[in-house]
Amino acid sequence: MSAPAVHAPPGRRIAWPLVLQVAWKNVRLRYKSSLLGFVWTFLNPVIYLAIFLFIFSRAFEQVANYPVFALSGLILWTFFATTSAHVLGALVENAHVLRSLAVPPLVFPLAQLFAGLINLLFSLLPFALLLAAFGWRPQPVHLLALPTLLLFAVFVFGLSLALSTLNVYFRDIGLLWNALLPALFYITPIAYPPDLVPADLRWVAGLDPLYWYIGLFRTIVVDGGWPDAGSMVLVTALSAASLALGMVVYGSLRRGLIANY
Amino acid sequence: MIEVRGLQADYHVLRHGARSIKEYLLSFGGKGLLERKRIIEQVDLDIAAGECFGIVGRNGSGKSTLLRVLAGIVEPTAGSVTVRGRVAPMLALGVGLEPELNGLENARLCAALMGGDRNATHRTVDHVRHFAGLSDDDLRMPVKRYSTGMMARLGFAIATTDDPEVLLIDEVLAVGDAGFQLKCYERIDELKRKGGTIVFVSHALGEVQRICDRAGCMEAGRLVKVGSTHEVGVFYHGLLGIPVEG
Repeated sequence: MSAPAVHAPPGRRIAWPLVLQVAWKNVRLRYKSSLLGFVWTFLNPVIYLAIFLFIFSRAFEQVANYPVFALSGLILWTFFATTSAHVLGALVENAHVLRSLAVPPLVFPLAQLFAGLINLLFSLLPFALLLAAFGWRPQPVHLLALPTLLLFAVFVFGLSLALSTLNVYFRDIGLLWNALLPALFYITPIAYPPDLVPADLRWVAGLDPLYWYIGLFRTIVVDGGWPDAGSMVLVTALSAASLALGMVVYGSLRRGLIANY
Repeated sequence: MIEVRGLQADYHVLRHGARSIKEYLLSFGGKGLLERKRIIEQVDLDIAAGECFGIVGRNGSGKSTLLRVLAGIVEPTAGSVTVRGRVAPMLALGVGLEPELNGLENARLCAALMGGDRNATHRTVDHVRHFAGLSDDDLRMPVKRYSTGMMARLGFAIATTDDPEVLLIDEVLAVGDAGFQLKCYERIDELKRKGGTIVFVSHALGEVQRICDRAGCMEAGRLVKVGSTHEVGVFYHGLLGIPVEG
């Protein structure tokens, strides 16, 4: 216990057990005072699905199995919207801890990412049951959905880490993100099939990274097909670029965090 | 034991104006958004094991930042800082406490945030049960229903688990009731007897004189006076322009 120790500069080494402990706390706190608790992770997309079915079920008759199509998009969207918002707030919300204890700041955004992943994993079983109720049947190829979700998680984390860091300096980032999320929801083909976008505007839709992740996820889960190499490479590159963006922004602004929370 | 040599610490503060944001984005984050502000300048300080050292000074003189450097929260810009032993920072009591969790759950969480492993976590929970002076019912109640004093008790108990060898205190003892303060002073004395080093930052000269062996006064980022608590007290009052009695 009394081994001499010269303490290392903060913000370097991440203690993974601590990240997981904080993540688990986040999962428990997220729904602590609500009656339905964790069920909301699952219920939220289901309410959206019910609305979609009510409004759109006749509109998109060209989609073979509209409930399965819509739900697969909603699973990714819910993870994106909630996790990005939580990671974005992670640094500012833990400012009091970061000002008083030698905890690497990265612990808190990471813990929110893992909390999002834990929620997602728990919700996959009820989602699978619901999909099955709409006639979806599991196949071996669906296991590819897991690495796709992991790549998506990396993408969400990189982008959100950049936003989380900038949000320490400009609180506008958080407000702006809240305003942008609904726009992104409508731009991304979640409720409607992607081929509904006019051909001359397809390239605009392709600028939205979510378009590619949701497309890949649906190829695997809805069509039961093997993804083509091109979209796998593209999605991997998007995840790498997003992570790089997050690390560069965080790395270049890390030293100033303490004075600006 | 604490050894500080030629310490200089800067805060990187936001430079205002849209131009700096543009520069930042165009340089891919390389420059432009932040500028350095010197907070601590040329500080040399030795604190021996078993000593309690007080730091006084005006608001913004750099006291808390010095404590943050010692705690490993702020990196020095230049100079060296050596802190030997397990550090328990108490820069704010009750920091890291999660309102929705109960006292014991918070003890576990805070122990982990302070860098403890699984064993340290168990010891923290034990220590909180025995030292905090909170009943079992209190400890199983969400911390959001605690009074300020109860929070302070919990926070102090968590921070002083495992006889920390270096205790950093930033004017936190004032919040508890008299009984709690007495208990804190006793615990601080006990830690000193066991060879612990204590750095105590406060505006209140009386508190510093009560528990510290030696003291220093900070002004504009420099440690301008080090000596007995009496000498430093006289100096500090002179700085503030308060007439000294006796």
